[in-house]
Amino acid sequence: MGEWSLPVSRRRALAIGAGIGAVAAGGLALSAGWARRPAETGDQLRSAVPLPEPFTVPLPIPPVLAPVESTADGDRYELVQQEIDAEVIPGFATRLWTYDGVFPGPTIESRRGRHTTVLHRNELPVPTVLHLHGGRTPAASDGYPTDLVLPDGWTGHAGHSMADDRAAVSNVQREYGFPLDQRAAMLWYHDHRMDFTAPAIWRGLAGLHFVRDDVEDALDLPRGDHELPLMIADRAFDEDGQLAYPAVDPSLTGEHGVTEPYLAGVLGDVVLVNGAPWPEHEVDTGLYRLRVLNGSNARHYELEAVADDGRTVPLVQIGADQGLLAAPVRHERLPIAPAERYDLLIDFGGLPVGSTVRLRNRLGSGGTADIMRFRIAREGTAAAIPETLAEDLPEWDRSEAAVVRDLAFRAGRMDDGRHGWLIDGLPFDPARTDVTARLGDVEVWRLVADVHHPVHLHLVGFRVLSRGGGAPLAHDAGLKDTISLRPGESAEIITRFDGYRGRYLFHCHNAEHEDMGMMANLEIV
Amino acid sequence: MQRELTIDAPAAAPAPPEQSAERTAASGWVLRGVSTAYLVAGFAQPVFAGVYLSGDFDGLAWHMRGADLVSYIAIAHLVTAGVVWARARRAWPFWASLALVTGVTAQYFAGMWGELWLHFPLGVALVAGIAGMFAAVWRRPLPRRRKEVRADG
Repeated sequence: MGEWSLPVSRRRALAIGAGIGAVAAGGLALSAGWARRPAETGDQLRSAVPLPEPFTVPLPIPPVLAPVESTADGDRYELVQQEIDAEVIPGFATRLWTYDGVFPGPTIESRRGRHTTVLHRNELPVPTVLHLHGGRTPAASDGYPTDLVLPDGWTGHAGHSMADDRAAVSNVQREYGFPLDQRAAMLWYHDHRMDFTAPAIWRGLAGLHFVRDDVEDALDLPRGDHELPLMIADRAFDEDGQLAYPAVDPSLTGEHGVTEPYLAGVLGDVVLVNGAPWPEHEVDTGLYRLRVLNGSNARHYELEAVADDGRTVPLVQIGADQGLLAAPVRHERLPIAPAERYDLLIDFGGLPVGSTVRLRNRLGSGGTADIMRFRIAREGTAAAIPETLAEDLPEWDRSEAAVVRDLAFRAGRMDDGRHGWLIDGLPFDPARTDVTARLGDVEVWRLVADVHHPVHLHLVGFRVLSRGGGAPLAHDAGLKDTISLRPGESAEIITRFDGYRGRYLFHCHNAEHEDMGMMANLEIV
Repeated sequence: MQRELTIDAPAAAPAPPEQSAERTAASGWVLRGVSTAYLVAGFAQPVFAGVYLSGDFDGLAWHMRGADLVSYIAIAHLVTAGVVWARARRAWPFWASLALVTGVTAQYFAGMWGELWLHFPLGVALVAGIAGMFAAVWRRPLPRRRKEVRADG
């Protein structure tokens, strides 16, 4: 027998055990110290200009766009997509791409079922595509990424990497028609151009679009100056006060995507609300309705309203992406992923005049831990929160499902070998139909994510059946069009594909992921 | 003292290299059995996780069932190790099993709460620990002892 058959001494055995234990403990400590807790998908740019003190800039409210024509058949609007210089950071003029010269774009107010036509004229230096997020829109007006509106004098190439025979390209302007046969909700419109959606939104191409209906009106919810649209979006600024963005091609006409450190998503260190950094808004002690959109490219927030004495002011959710819930849901903290919306009530009653309530981001650190502040300036009128809300929520049962699909959202390689983001192992290709659904069919989709992926379906709203193998979370209530999957998480959603036939999309609404492959075609037949 | 450092294959285990005085007690055999189940269930967990993350939704249900199973085995192992301590006068399996139960419990909740920074490295450490336990209980006999109190080396 050789050395191998010698007995192991007790001391040696203990030493080996201690060594393995030390390595295991070291690994856990390394992970605890190194890994992001809470998890965050994306990398943060650092602004090079002095940033304003939080809560020193007033909250802007985007102007409501007046129709150029209103008839019995509907309302017609016109918008010009144009570059402007605006003062976002005090003391600096920042070049923005805007709808009609304002960021966020002007708000459009529509009634359910009343046809809305919007003529978009492109005076930007690049092609654009307009998509109404959450809109139940015919495919021709849904803003398919290759349905470009080319700027005047645009020469030759399509300005993106994909050949698409079905693309409907127009010159300089295009009319989009929205039947808006859908529940009252806060939708938002934004650029959806192939390969360059993320930088276009980053530069300012986003605005709000409200749909109102009788169900909502009957509830007597706070309105007028007691209903506040809040588009939360992070940005970063370079040394000249211009928007910083790590595009591979800053002209946004050639190679798409972002540089290596930002492949998982671009995060800014400045939190804008309606285009203003960490603004403050004066309120009274009444009940307010907050219409919140996370318009960020990649940043997730966890909202929490905190009074001066450290007490949490509840955020009462009355609506989701696609309109009112059946009953209010009270949250102390509320996570919101890119493109998600919440309809919230917040009651400032009982708080002393002169005090403040900060809207915090529990997922942020440093500047990104703050969003905005409310200053309670005067006494207001108390109002009750309704105990029941809408009764028109669609209900679908698993047993109705014609198809159950598994879809994986994860990192991978694109066709050119670069790092990208894939759905079921494939990068986006306009020429490939990924999912064919029959008009009228109920389907269950089971979505699995590797890192954070806010998954968005065009055309339809859906209900959340389960999350992470268990019941949906409190904030999954209602009818949604975007569901936030966290790392390693999965969810089951159910919907009926109705409305219109045609070519639609589903995709990750981390805008960088979306540009780097994470979209797929949904053909409704 | 044990002659072999090499690990006996489970199938070869009943073979009689053990002297009658060194014959593994019934409680020791149960511990070996539970340790073997622990090893199989432990190695299955990353398989289910991989199936799940590759996009197979059902992989999650398997991973959750696996987590329940590993938890039950961990508790059974701790109880058995306690019996081995009492009957065979060996304390180390109990303390090692207690450490594993603690880790398995933390792992369960780290998974439930999506704390992947903990879940991944702890999972690897646990599988290593379970494999070590398997090797240790099969490597030497676990005879019943009446007077000899010293845990061996």
